[in-house]
Amino acid sequence: MNGYAAQALDVIWLLPLLGALIAWTFGPRLRAAAGGICSAVVGLAFAGTLAELVFVSRWTGMHWGFHQSLVTWVPGFTLGLQLDPLSLIWSLIITGVGFLIHVYSIGYLAGDRSIARFFAYMNFFVFAMLTLVLSDNFVGLLVGWGLVGLASYFLIGYYIDRPSAVAAARKAFVINVFGDVGMMFAIVVVFALFGSVSYTDVFAVAHDLPSPVLALICLGLFTACAAKSAQVPLHTWLPDAMEGPTPVSALIHAATMVTAGVYLIARCAPLWSSSPEAQELVGVVGAITALCGALLGIVQWDIKRILAYSTMSQIGYMIMAVGVGAYDAGVLHFFTHAFFKALLFLAAGLIIHELANEQDIRKMGGLRKRMPLAFWAITSGVLAICGIPLFSGFYSKDAVIYGMLLHGHPILFAIGVLTAGLTAFYMFRMWFIVFFGSDRTEHGEETHASSWTMRIPVALLIGPTVVAGYLGIAGSASPWSRFLAPVFDGARPFEVSTPLNETAVSSLVLIFVACGILAAYLRYGSARATSRDTLRLMREAEGIPLFFRRAFYVDDFIRVLIVRPAQIFGAFLSRFIDPRFIDGLVHDVAWFAGVLGFEVRAMQNGQVRGYAFTLAVGVVAFIAYFTSLGGVR
Amino acid sequence: MIVPPLYYIALSAVLFFIGIAGVLTRRNPLIMLMAIELMFNAANLALITFSRVWLNNVGHIFAFLVVTVAAAEAAIALAIVVVVFRQAPNVDVDQIAELKG
Repeated sequence: MNGYAAQALDVIWLLPLLGALIAWTFGPRLRAAAGGICSAVVGLAFAGTLAELVFVSRWTGMHWGFHQSLVTWVPGFTLGLQLDPLSLIWSLIITGVGFLIHVYSIGYLAGDRSIARFFAYMNFFVFAMLTLVLSDNFVGLLVGWGLVGLASYFLIGYYIDRPSAVAAARKAFVINVFGDVGMMFAIVVVFALFGSVSYTDVFAVAHDLPSPVLALICLGLFTACAAKSAQVPLHTWLPDAMEGPTPVSALIHAATMVTAGVYLIARCAPLWSSSPEAQELVGVVGAITALCGALLGIVQWDIKRILAYSTMSQIGYMIMAVGVGAYDAGVLHFFTHAFFKALLFLAAGLIIHELANEQDIRKMGGLRKRMPLAFWAITSGVLAICGIPLFSGFYSKDAVIYGMLLHGHPILFAIGVLTAGLTAFYMFRMWFIVFFGSDRTEHGEETHASSWTMRIPVALLIGPTVVAGYLGIAGSASPWSRFLAPVFDGARPFEVSTPLNETAVSSLVLIFVACGILAAYLRYGSARATSRDTLRLMREAEGIPLFFRRAFYVDDFIRVLIVRPAQIFGAFLSRFIDPRFIDGLVHDVAWFAGVLGFEVRAMQNGQVRGYAFTLAVGVVAFIAYFTSLGGVR
Repeated sequence: MIVPPLYYIALSAVLFFIGIAGVLTRRNPLIMLMAIELMFNAANLALITFSRVWLNNVGHIFAFLVVTVAAAEAAIALAIVVVVFRQAPNVDVDQIAELKG
């Protein structure tokens, strides 16, 4: 039985690659059919993952999970797949949410010129992500990590004729590669110390290491996390990545890829738990990211950029949680976030599609009656992300914030509470501006009614958006914690006694959230605010301080400190080093051969007697040489 | 009286250099061929001499081989020379350059 499950894992892993290859090879002939095939492939992978879940749920042992060796790389180094609670959760989200988004894309991109290419990229992304989470060693992880970055590059730059999309894709790729280098560094250190790259070997002896070395490894890994999960200061690619088609934003830049950093830290929990410095760093960076994302979310007008910054902020929460040791809470927040953020993006996609690619919320307004499905979907998504009781986000976010207190980080706790209030403010700001007030759309009655393939995934996602958090009720006794126990039990840090119990924390968070909603209502939703709202919004847009409009100047800092020097250095190389030394060397060799040929050509005059003379001189010289040596034998 | 081997070798060397000089200086193909024959036979003379000096027959065998090759060469070369003479009398080898690449 175990063998079948392990072989099924291979199939699940390779199915999306098969879909990608089919779509790539036969793309021009398949056209729209590629969407169906690729969606079906991911759907099958999801079904397989569900079957694995059913199969393993009957296991009662503490340390369950299984390996499937794939190749022996160098003798002694076996690369393989493994399925344990952590990778199972990620696989379920990747294939499940991924399947819905594939189906949605069929409608969203219908009529697109190169739809097969799109689906090939999407399937390739799913394959890369599965490689990342199913690998049982650091090298496989790195391969998946790099492939995911590549898939993201393809998809952000999908509209290849749009220069801003290509620039955004390049930016995302470069920042991701920066993270890859950090991870490579960590892996090299790990290999030098342990002589192995498999998780089991490394984690078994991790706590014996001196803490500076451990902190170094964690730092390298965290660089990779920060780049992939858009943590300050490597977050700047995420808002730009919204240049990709909306389903891509939903799949990659909200539900799955950007949470790879959360996965990595959760996977390496034994390393982090033995290194308090690394935990401190990750917790602080996560908190800063959560706060910055929320602050920047307030001043955006592009609906996708609002959601992008909210993603950044929510991932900050997750990173903060797994950083300080609240692994269950962090992974639960990933789980619920995947549903509600995918829902928010897909519903935003419905609006964008309907309004002929309009993304500016100042040009929406009053869409509540016109688009009831999008309204209800976004409403439930907004309620979930704000952490309103009975919606999934409430349970996961409260667990995260309470976890801060539980692991002795009161300052991070305060930032978490504050960010929850800000989140409520900017999400409801968007909600009020888009769905209430006067109709400010410019396209009038010109509508692109969305097809059923777009509506059904949105409707299906509303369910888990509401209920996904119920798994986490009752803290450490919840089904969620019991499910994850085999992964994290060896790595749980000590908890400290807290002055507030969980109910008090929830109430505190809810007070902040209520304040945020109230402020958003007064400013954007009340009767006074919605009268003459076009003018008011325009004036507000002009009044935003430059500091916020330029996103805290992070991009400018990077441009001045890194991009400009790199460009100057590159210009220097291409202006001086390249022509003089690299090209110069090649030119000199060619010049020498030319001169030599010119000189020697004079001897080739075609006169046989000349050749015979040369031959005779040669023979004489030869004999003279050997006779002068005097019979050397 | 026995002629010492050195004399034979010296004669062989003289004949050989006369041959080389002929090949290098003359332009008439027939004279050149004769010069080449002279070089062959100079070599033969040296081979036979060494054979006598060392008292074995390898030199003889080589000399026969050289005679055979020389005969074949003469047949082919004379055929070519005849064909060339048919095209133009008073041929100068430096001007037979139609096959020059």
